[in-house]
Amino acid sequence: MNSCATKVSAETGIGLQLVQVSKSFGGVAALRPSSFSVPAGRMCALLGPSGCGKTTTLRIIAGFETPDAGRVVIAGQDRTDDPPQRRKLGMVFQNYSLFPHMTVEQNVAFGLRMARLPRAEIEARTHRMLDIVHLPQHGERYPNQLSGGQQQRVALARSLVTEPSMLLLDEPLGALDKNLREEMQFELRQLQREFGITTLLVTHDQEEALTMSDMIVVMNRGEILQVGTPTEVYERPRNRFVSEFLGTSNILTLIVTGRPDADTLRVRSAEASEGAEFCLPTSTTAEPGRAITVAIRPEHLHVVPLADRMPHGLTATVTGSVFRGASRVFQLRIPGFARPLFAYRQVTGPASATALPVGAPVSVSWTPGAMRVLDDE
Amino acid sequence: MTSDRAQLVNASLAARVAMPAPASARPGAQFAAGLLPVLPAVAFLLLFFVAPLVQNGAHSIWLPSPQGGRLSAAYYAKLFFDSYYLTVIGQTLLLSVIVTAICAVLGYPVAYFMVRHAGRWTGLIIFLLVAPLLTSIIMRTFGWSVILARNGVLNSTLLGLGFIERPLRLLQGPSSVIIGLVHVLVPFMVISIAAVLKGVDRRLEEAAQLLGAGRLRTFREVTLPLSLDGVATGSIVVFMLANGSFLTMLLLGGGSVVTLPLLIYQQFLLVQNLGFAAAMGNVLLALAVLSLFLQLRLIRRQGVHR
Repeated sequence: MNSCATKVSAETGIGLQLVQVSKSFGGVAALRPSSFSVPAGRMCALLGPSGCGKTTTLRIIAGFETPDAGRVVIAGQDRTDDPPQRRKLGMVFQNYSLFPHMTVEQNVAFGLRMARLPRAEIEARTHRMLDIVHLPQHGERYPNQLSGGQQQRVALARSLVTEPSMLLLDEPLGALDKNLREEMQFELRQLQREFGITTLLVTHDQEEALTMSDMIVVMNRGEILQVGTPTEVYERPRNRFVSEFLGTSNILTLIVTGRPDADTLRVRSAEASEGAEFCLPTSTTAEPGRAITVAIRPEHLHVVPLADRMPHGLTATVTGSVFRGASRVFQLRIPGFARPLFAYRQVTGPASATALPVGAPVSVSWTPGAMRVLDDE
Repeated sequence: MTSDRAQLVNASLAARVAMPAPASARPGAQFAAGLLPVLPAVAFLLLFFVAPLVQNGAHSIWLPSPQGGRLSAAYYAKLFFDSYYLTVIGQTLLLSVIVTAICAVLGYPVAYFMVRHAGRWTGLIIFLLVAPLLTSIIMRTFGWSVILARNGVLNSTLLGLGFIERPLRLLQGPSSVIIGLVHVLVPFMVISIAAVLKGVDRRLEEAAQLLGAGRLRTFREVTLPLSLDGVATGSIVVFMLANGSFLTMLLLGGGSVVTLPLLIYQQFLLVQNLGFAAAMGNVLLALAVLSLFLQLRLIRRQGVHR
């Protein structure tokens, strides 16, 4: 572990590094020994459902919790034993945590005042920061006189004005309504890029994680399941949890019954013994008799009327259909599988052209690259 | 001028009362129906609060004489121009201020501990706080006498430890009165502060810490200002109660501390000068209302932006 730490501090260009950090509360592991690092100036999303350990991780990085073991290295400095006030961090809290008894200006200036900077400098930097977040006229107001989006900006200004070595965002957009949230996603991302500040975004919203970050750390039950770029994690999920948590996934458990040639597997449903066999175009090397789990994204399923069937197409029945404006969602049932499949079909022409009546027999197929064989769990 | 303003106020009041009227079909009936449940309370207040106040006011400006008496402001004149009574009024306020201040200084840390660190012991602390209120004043006074007496526990301890050379005169003086009052009134302060402190978002403190404030500065800049409401509420309650209490002065003060309530008691029961007692009662009430007003102004300024 010591050698690990020295290696860490010797490296440059790393904004945040967690080395074998763990924490348990009353014997219950909130965070199993976990390591990951974020390159300097990048935005990393810590993604997972509530109780997955992401908040614990954030609180350990902020210094509100002491890890049972491991090191926290921020901007090349081991901060594990530093109290929060010496870690030089900026943080936007879930409910913004603006000081209600201070004006916007006083809120933003707080960190500078704590650093005992000269008054003139505090004023200049506060005003510049309020300009950056588009609130130059709001300095005299109190937080409760601002809208949610404005409060969010003040919180951001307050956390960035001290030029911290790292920015922590704790579900920063959770309290905003949908339209504002999308707007703020872009604004936050733009500010983060402009400042070039290493950022850790804690979120349970997979869309937020995918759109805002350079890398995603997926967590569940106190464990890191996968680390990668948004495309990597989305397109090549390592296991079933990641696959289902990031977007919708169709998961099929299959039993290999044969291998007609190098690029094809013959399989049948693992759920029903009498399920029809079908061929899967894949390069996976699984021996006959083994069970495999595969995931296919709904947008990668091609659904066509049975008359236009493709080779390797599976026969299914439409059991539901929802029109969502830009796309259609079909619920399909394949004999031998208990769970229905979901398929998205982009609406390109007139909406009626993509419609399929409920009860209609269809053919479902996908390209080999769209299917992902998941790790055994 | 005054009547102009009164008319304005009346008009605006009338407008406000009249506003919702068009919405309901029979406003009068609805209003009467709404009034019915509060009638007992109103009757009670009229009978036991408003009527005595009016009677008290009448007493205070009525100078009885064998010929039947006459209206006079003599009692008030005596209270405000006689240096003795002015001193008593001053002493009353001073004592209340001192007791309030001590309660705030002693009570805040207790409230803080109770909210932040006590955990499952909170109940016990509240019980210990409230216990003095459950004990009769005679018992409390006796207890303090045992502790504070010339040969009491406190003096013998201090003597034994060599801190003092001769026993302190604690009993029958201002210090024993202040101790006695603080003892009973501090729970009101602690509970008022604790209630507000409990509502202070811990994340605000965490935010301050991350922005570079140490524990002391976090407390001074965030926790304390946000809990001042509780201090103010507690202060009002303690101040009012201290202002009005006289049994403690009587039993623990031994005549050394003369406050308005004590004088009222004397005038009323011993001298039986009802008119003068009534005038003093009204002055005490006016003082209480005035301080309440001032303290409310103070809170409003502090807590306007919540």
